[in-house]
Amino acid sequence: MGLISWARKKSPWALHFNTGSCNGCDIEVVAAFTPRFDLERFGIILQGSPRHADVLVATGPVVRQTKDRLVRIYEQMPNPKCVVAVGTCAISGAPFTGSYNIHGGIDKVIPVDIYVSGCPPKPEAIINGLIQAIKKYEKKQ
Amino acid sequence: MPFLDIIVFPGLLFLLFLAFFCEWLDRKAVAKLQNRVGPKHTGPEGILQPFADFIKLLSNEDIIPAAVDRIMFSLGPILILTLSLMPLFLIPIAGSSALVWFEGDLIFIMFVMTLRIIITFLSAWSSTNRFSMIGGMRVILQMLAFEIPLTIAMTGPAISARSLSLSKIVQFQASEHLLLLAQPLGFVIVTICLLAELRMVPFDIPKAKTEIVKGWFVEFSGKKLALLRLTEDFELVLAASLMVSLYLGGPIGPWQTQSVLYFFTKLVICILILSNLRALFARFRIDQALKGAWKYLTPLALIQVILVELMPMVIP
Repeated sequence: MGLISWARKKSPWALHFNTGSCNGCDIEVVAAFTPRFDLERFGIILQGSPRHADVLVATGPVVRQTKDRLVRIYEQMPNPKCVVAVGTCAISGAPFTGSYNIHGGIDKVIPVDIYVSGCPPKPEAIINGLIQAIKKYEKKQ
Repeated sequence: MPFLDIIVFPGLLFLLFLAFFCEWLDRKAVAKLQNRVGPKHTGPEGILQPFADFIKLLSNEDIIPAAVDRIMFSLGPILILTLSLMPLFLIPIAGSSALVWFEGDLIFIMFVMTLRIIITFLSAWSSTNRFSMIGGMRVILQMLAFEIPLTIAMTGPAISARSLSLSKIVQFQASEHLLLLAQPLGFVIVTICLLAELRMVPFDIPKAKTEIVKGWFVEFSGKKLALLRLTEDFELVLAASLMVSLYLGGPIGPWQTQSVLYFFTKLVICILILSNLRALFARFRIDQALKGAWKYLTPLALIQVILVELMPMVIP
């Protein structure tokens, strides 16, 4: 059991999904993988397919159009999995709260483990959020 | 002790460690070229990273989607892993003759590599995903184009050594000269074709991440994905060690000495060449890759074979 939790701590693969963000948070998420911040140091690789990912990095408020897709992508990910909500919109819907086409934050639709606040959050904050997610992910069965 | 040879050295365990080491080396080299650090916190300088990835994927949930062909979908990764491991036993690693060798094993290696690609196509098709179907078709197209120049260029060393066995080719290089010096063109063609055959970066068209998600292995998760990633590492070792044994003399060192350390050094150099190409190039389109193979590589490979035949007449 010690070996498996060690391995999980060392290689959480991320999937980035835009649920209706303005692209600000997405640029910062991608920036966290660039040479300056280089998340591969911690073994985190950006994956293309939800079947290969362990951590879902979701940005933006859940709009009506992406709600079903978000749930589907979450269900396609293998267990154990965790979700990081990046940005103020992903936490609560922020300036769009109450709008006719918004469901609200990510946690209205799927369970969220870590919230990273900021509009947009700095790459350092996203890295910190992912490290917190790793700590939580390690304990999951 | 043939049993120990097969299990420990230079057999399964050694190849497993070599595969993980090569993946780490490749990732570190690419990171260095892109001005990054690469894996850092998993063991010393991140050397345990591929091992951690492997263990994590083994422990993850193994999803079998409802629509797939269950038998082929479950069998595919195991067969591909076996078929990519098999040619490695025919490569002389520790001494000038391999663990298993017979006259004509060069043809056998080519045959196994083709078979592996057909299995790849079948498992891509059986996962009934649009992306993996497109990926599977591209795998087959790429194989059809690059198998021919690869085979033609590989006959160059075979003609020089007057043998179709890899071990004999290595022994020829021990007694005469390195074939890289005589056939530099062949070395370049084989390198490019191996990149394409093993779907590495300038030719990673079947699994192009930005256009067809992850191509032919989009649906695989958990244990199957772990096996497929291990296969990719074995393929990297296979490509580098084919280059080493065909053109760089395998475990042959200066002054007729033989050691696994020479093989290892040459292998590291070849992997650095491959990862340099990986960092240097962007992905080709499928039509560009095929056009390149038919229009340039095949004629060049033929020219190389003609040169090999003519050279002894000109320079006795």
